[in-house]
Amino acid sequence: MNTIKMTHYETELNRIRKKVFSNQGQLDTVIGIRNYIDNNYDINLNLNVLSHLGFVSKYHLLRLFKRYYGQTPRQYLIDTRIKKSKEHLKNGMTVTETCFAVGFESLGSFSTLFKHKTGKTPAQFQKEQLSRSNLNFDSGICER
Amino acid sequence: MKITLISIPVRDQQKALEFYTEKLGFIVKKDAPLEGGNRWLTLVSKEAQDGPELLLEPAPNHFEPSKVYQDALMEAGIPWTQFDVENVDAEYERLLKLSVEFSVKPTQMGTVKFAVFNDTCGNNIQIVEML
Repeated sequence: MNTIKMTHYETELNRIRKKVFSNQGQLDTVIGIRNYIDNNYDINLNLNVLSHLGFVSKYHLLRLFKRYYGQTPRQYLIDTRIKKSKEHLKNGMTVTETCFAVGFESLGSFSTLFKHKTGKTPAQFQKEQLSRSNLNFDSGICER
Repeated sequence: MKITLISIPVRDQQKALEFYTEKLGFIVKKDAPLEGGNRWLTLVSKEAQDGPELLLEPAPNHFEPSKVYQDALMEAGIPWTQFDVENVDAEYERLLKLSVEFSVKPTQMGTVKFAVFNDTCGNNIQIVEML
């Protein structure tokens, strides 16, 4: 059933959409670039590669991505790699394997960045996660 | 300083607990009795149990301006709180089957897709998927 009366929120969204998100071509470009990063975060990605894909200049891409996602492609790539590396570490992959699996080229830069972003080194993070899952396992058994 | 908690005003903590765990799938992190039947009640996402906690805060029952503000947001259809989901369409279908009422169906806006539902405790809640 469609309600005829729009809420204040919907009215505002429609107004903002027209003003801010009217350029569907630009949206398609940045959404495509983001999907590409999501699927290829593990290879050596840089602005040159991404701008070729989107058929736009490097600096235009940088500006567009930042405008629609609120962060640069590089920041988004790093966040994606850190997120994926957490999953790998939780699943028991070694720190070195994880580093290369998410596209970093040196263990040092991976560890430094990981610590900078999460407050822990990859090894500390993994140790905590694995002891946590053992704990959950134990308490699960106790409850039965 | 760390960001570890966000609060959401609810009219009935028990009812909210049931909605947020049974329908949304969050799990209880802390539940401690306070004065006057109120509880310090926090939830976390199942997939991020060490992530930020959501405090179910009974402010509208004890502080009139909170109630007025919550009512005004509800009336205007404004969601003050939003949660991330992997797939808005799938979540919309799942929640519909659980009789959750939506005021905004899955809609694209820029680089996100979102929908808005009623949490039955006084709030519009927005779910968002990044495109």
